Amino acid sequence: MKADVPVQKFRSIENMNHAPVSRSRLPDFERFLRHCARYWAIAPKVYPRGVFKFRTIEEAQKARANH
Amino acid sequence: MDRDEIIRVLRAFEASGLEYVLIGAAAMGFHGLVRATEDLDLFVRATSENIERLRAALREAYEDDPHIEEISSADLLGEYPAVRYYPPTGDLYFDVLTRLGDAARFETVDAEIKDIEGTRVRVATPAALYRLKKGTVRAIDHQDAAALRERFNLKDEG
Repeated sequence: MKADVPVQKFRSIENMNHAPVSRSRLPDFERFLRHCARYWAIAPKVYPRGVFKFRTIEEAQKARANH
Repeated sequence: MDRDEIIRVLRAFEASGLEYVLIGAAAMGFHGLVRATEDLDLFVRATSENIERLRAALREAYEDDPHIEEISSADLLGEYPAVRYYPPTGDLYFDVLTRLGDAARFETVDAEIKDIEGTRVRVATPAALYRLKKGTVRAIDHQDAAALRERFNLKDEG
């Protein structure tokens, strides 16, 4: 099965899962930016403003978990 | 996370001469491993001059947000090696690190130069990202480490 055709058909979900996924022609970082934009559109958040300081990365990660 | 905002910030980093290396999900994005994130993580060289470059770049990108002045060398070179900045745009934030325990700092993270719309971006190599992520406790870091190892055929160092 070629991965770069617009429509692919499968006889089973197993076949579908094993098929190669079509690679975007966009540059990698552009794909990343678009993916983040979609994520934000689906699940926007409200962040505080300003600067927060942490003694360790673990402290910073714990604070992030509270968003 | 707004695309143009990211480009604007990366451009400001380059224009200011900031010595930094991008790590985290954005760096993985440059290497073709795409997952969503809400933040940009970066190591910066821990000098007063470089922290001033960071402030200058952020002032340029965020039109003199007064909170930027709260980012200080005294903190980043001293007791607070991790500083989180939430800019006024409100849909992303920055985690700025000068060191990660004894394990890593700007000088120890191998990097390569990538290009985005004519802007040079200093990005941690896949192997450097793997080293940063494999030993941490977060599940997402373990997933990232596994993805890096598989994509780039990375091996654990003895």
